[in-house]
Amino acid sequence: MKRRMRAGVLILLTVSGVPTLSGLAAALWFGVDAASLTRVLDTPGIGLSIASSVWTGLVATLLSLALAHLAVAVAATGGWRRRLNAFSLPLLAMPHLAVGIGLALVLAPSGLLLRLISPAVTGLTEPPDWLSVQDPYGLSLIAGLVVKETAFLVLVLFAALTQVPAERLLLQARSLGYGRLKAWLVAVAPLLQQQIRLPLAAVLVFGLTNVEMAIPLGPDLPPTFSVMLWRWFVDADPAIHVQAYTGTLVLLFVTVLTVIVASRAARAFGVLWRRWAENGSRLRGEATARGAVGAFVSSVWILGMLALFAILLRSAAGVWRFPDVLPASAALSSWSGVLPAAGNVAGTTILLAAATALVGVILVLPVAEQLHRDAALRSRLGAWLFLPLLLPQMTFLFGVQVLLAYLGIDGTFPAVLWSHLIFALPYLWGLLAPARAAIDPRYLAVARTLGAGPARAWLTATMPLILRSILLAIALAFSVSIALYLPTLFAGAGRIATAATEAAAAAGSGTLRLAAVHGILLAVLPLAAFTAAYAAGAALFRNRRGMPR
Amino acid sequence: MSALTVEQVSLRISGQTLFAPFDLHVPAGVVTSVIGPSGSGKSSLLAYLCGTLAPEFEAEGRVLIGDDDVSRLPPEQRGLGILFQEPLLFPHLSVRGNLLFGLRADGGRRARRKIADSELASMGLAGFGDRDPETLSGGQKARVALLRVLLSKPRALLLDEPFSALDHDNRVKVRQLVFDEVRRRKLPTLLVTHDEADAASAAGPVVALATVEY
Amino acid sequence: MCRLLVIVALLACAIGVSAQPDVDPPEWTKTQRLGVGQTVYFNAWGGDPAINRYIEWSAGRVRERYGVQLVHVKVTDIAESVSRIMAERVAERDDNGSVDLLWINGENFAALKQADLLWGPWTGRLPNAELIDWQGNPTTRIDVTLPTEGFELPWGTSTFTLFYDRSHVASDAKPPPRDPATLLRWIEAHPGRFSYPQPPAFLGTAFLKQLLLLLTDDLDRVQRPVGDDFDAVTARLWAWLDRAHTGMWRRGRLFPRGGPAQRELLAGGELHWMMSYNPAEASRAIRQGELHESIRALHLEGGALANSHFLAIPYNAGSKAGAMLVADFLISPEAQARKSDESVWGDPTVLNLERLPATDRAPFEALQPGAATPSPPDRLLAEPHPSWAARLEREWLERYVR
Repeated sequence: MKRRMRAGVLILLTVSGVPTLSGLAAALWFGVDAASLTRVLDTPGIGLSIASSVWTGLVATLLSLALAHLAVAVAATGGWRRRLNAFSLPLLAMPHLAVGIGLALVLAPSGLLLRLISPAVTGLTEPPDWLSVQDPYGLSLIAGLVVKETAFLVLVLFAALTQVPAERLLLQARSLGYGRLKAWLVAVAPLLQQQIRLPLAAVLVFGLTNVEMAIPLGPDLPPTFSVMLWRWFVDADPAIHVQAYTGTLVLLFVTVLTVIVASRAARAFGVLWRRWAENGSRLRGEATARGAVGAFVSSVWILGMLALFAILLRSAAGVWRFPDVLPASAALSSWSGVLPAAGNVAGTTILLAAATALVGVILVLPVAEQLHRDAALRSRLGAWLFLPLLLPQMTFLFGVQVLLAYLGIDGTFPAVLWSHLIFALPYLWGLLAPARAAIDPRYLAVARTLGAGPARAWLTATMPLILRSILLAIALAFSVSIALYLPTLFAGAGRIATAATEAAAAAGSGTLRLAAVHGILLAVLPLAAFTAAYAAGAALFRNRRGMPR
Repeated sequence: MSALTVEQVSLRISGQTLFAPFDLHVPAGVVTSVIGPSGSGKSSLLAYLCGTLAPEFEAEGRVLIGDDDVSRLPPEQRGLGILFQEPLLFPHLSVRGNLLFGLRADGGRRARRKIADSELASMGLAGFGDRDPETLSGGQKARVALLRVLLSKPRALLLDEPFSALDHDNRVKVRQLVFDEVRRRKLPTLLVTHDEADAASAAGPVVALATVEY
Repeated sequence: MCRLLVIVALLACAIGVSAQPDVDPPEWTKTQRLGVGQTVYFNAWGGDPAINRYIEWSAGRVRERYGVQLVHVKVTDIAESVSRIMAERVAERDDNGSVDLLWINGENFAALKQADLLWGPWTGRLPNAELIDWQGNPTTRIDVTLPTEGFELPWGTSTFTLFYDRSHVASDAKPPPRDPATLLRWIEAHPGRFSYPQPPAFLGTAFLKQLLLLLTDDLDRVQRPVGDDFDAVTARLWAWLDRAHTGMWRRGRLFPRGGPAQRELLAGGELHWMMSYNPAEASRAIRQGELHESIRALHLEGGALANSHFLAIPYNAGSKAGAMLVADFLISPEAQARKSDESVWGDPTVLNLERLPATDRAPFEALQPGAATPSPPDRLLAEPHPSWAARLEREWLERYVR
């Protein structure tokens, strides 16, 4: 039994860890070079580029965290928890790239937002020359990140809520005379915060190092540091290549430094928080606060939905003069040109996502089964699997390409599948391991004592109880795979075309129309997957009330 | 201090009545015990009094503190303190922090800290201010929880089987402590319990929840 | 005696005009045989759906004609593929590389050629190579001052063209600006409606080069490598840009990322100008309903920057025979005529139309250029030495990145 357990754990760690660590090693090997470092630091605009990465990452994470906590506080104490959950899911399902492209189409001066209110409200008949998208302060980038990360953090907070005796704590605080909001924020929120440290770190790292949101929405003169690195990786000059490796080490350094500074700042904030908790003021007038939070959450949701709508409109639009809200003509030329190839792209995307989901679930389930009693090992394994999400993707992905080239499999479907698994496993583990551990062990004991062998006992006693979680995990891994851009680009050597690579390439060259065409696939597939998983989960066992949700 | 009065309170869920309408009058400084087997609706009664009854229930009746009808007020405005079976000290605040949370907002930081520390000392917990609540024993936690609720100056106190998690020795001591305090401060107190020894020690009226016969 | 001399002279002329060696027929049959069933990975810029459609069409035709499977590997920037080939040399992947055919020119060609990463010379082996206008169009033999020497095959020729929205820029009474000075005045009078792709994007650098050629006194200087007199030679260019940026779209803090991006901005009404190397670009877009009909085109007075774009085969290509078959098809009259058709792509041909027999010439003559296609430029200006492009890009970044 122990040997089998070790094998399963080893497989997971190998799939996840070998590329990550070898990629890091390659980055260190090729990138530690004094001359290259000088060249990196000599690049025009490098300081501003790094600064804008740090600024946008920090501000977006902070805003998302605050908004998520407030949203959960208001919703949980106001009885609209379910609605908040439902609100967040579509935003969570849409990949960053799709939201970025959509928001670029919404916020641009010739975009959907201004078209809706012109000339009625603004009196404009021509698109104004405003820097509303890709502005040098990164505000549009921050907006895009906030839309996505708030939804993510809301769901993470809800998951953490199951580990905290929220009702009791809330009641205790209220019985001491505190209104719902302050009661929640003082009694429950800090406990939730302690639980979400790891996902929050991942959010910060993503904010600092992403290209998916920065390509359509980030500034360009200079771009954020990761976009600059992305352009270097693609350059012909070999000197710029070494520069790119060194650049990713600089990125790693900046990321680690920022995370450390952020956690120190968080601790200082904690002191202020405690002062507020202990000052005794009961804070009765909650209506305005609740209204404001509701308004913010609604605007975030509306922005997200507008982004989706804009993608649909733009992809079909022909001549679309400002300020018409709907295009005058539908030029399906973009579609007709793209359709045969788009069919291929869709096929590859779906196949890859389905393979990631199935292989991932098959790898994770046995180990979840074996470790269902060992909480310590479970969380340690979870932390190791989480490592790739805590590193800047670019830092180890280029090294992965070297590894795959040496193994002779770069540019092949299995290589890309492997790279997708690296990023799907942490989510799969995070969903399935606790779900399995939460099942009362006595069910299995009863099944065994009634004469069932281990396999049959698992099939009849355990598996049905986690089936809903399995379906959700499949949808989750499916969506993660669809959204992955850099891994597909590097492991696939540019040969494997998915909706993400096509959309990113189009957005990177500024062809928002083509980007929208591929963006539809990006946005719709994960939504469909989650809907299917929920529907199937609800349909199964709908006449059994004792099933775990 | 005024009395806690419960008028013609009756609770129903899914059309079934939990207990018949009854009245309760708890004078200042008196501990009234409510006894009943599990499932008889004791906790629901407390929830109703607090104002946190789940929406599935239908309730009738009134709750008054002195002459004020608090039946329609939200929990934080009723002035009803509650002690649960678990002390529920906030683990992310220190012992003093928990007390400061309960203490009303008059006075500056330093003045309030002094009050909290002196209260701790009076309970035999001097110097415990900076301690992590998790490091305290069961009896110590119960005392801190009691202090916390008393510092919030409630007008009446509800006790939801607060001694049942303690071992026998602590149980006796803490029980005596609680009852001494509420008598001293003249707080009308309602104790919900299934332990007859608690009721006996309360030395007040005992109400048995009349369950409806089917 | 006189007649003999005339005949000898004519023969000599015939030999001289044929600038490329004849193709050896059995050699070509062998290539055809080797190529059957091969898969050719064609790395080409994938940012323009019309071009992608054209390549799809070509894939169908080469499959029918030669049994070759052409796969279009869409790249955002061909530099990606150049770096991949370099990485494959480092990893000692000397045969069966991931790229078989490249759409390339300029700095990227120079990078590969100087690193010895191209296979060749091979263009002489193609039967259709003799149809190319080698003499009349020198850009088919010289790629940005570097002789191609048979290592890359010209595919199409580009001339730098400016497009504008007639309803906003000109009228019957007022003609559009045709030289840098007038253009600058227009920009200052209409702020926020002109921009150019951000260097080092291909078109952005092209704009800088075009302006430089028109704003410098010594055209020959830029054919030689850049030197210490860079500041002196480019002084007027930076002066022009500094002034223009005050009236630039987005106040010069953001630039369109590339050609198609500007086209979308022109279509949306944010910009009233765009630029391209393809003179037929606007006509094609109008035909496909992507641009409104008031778009017109012009070449700047003084000459248009011109160059050809090419096809090359990497040293480690796995399907060299198939690649040659594809290349030969792409310069066939059938493929070139369709390519020049504005409703398909509109890219000018590299063929010498006079050398074609009447049946092959007919499709070219039947082509109707749209109203948004400019008349030919008064002069073709050769590309400057590649070192100028690199230096211009660097200087631009240093000046305008805040």
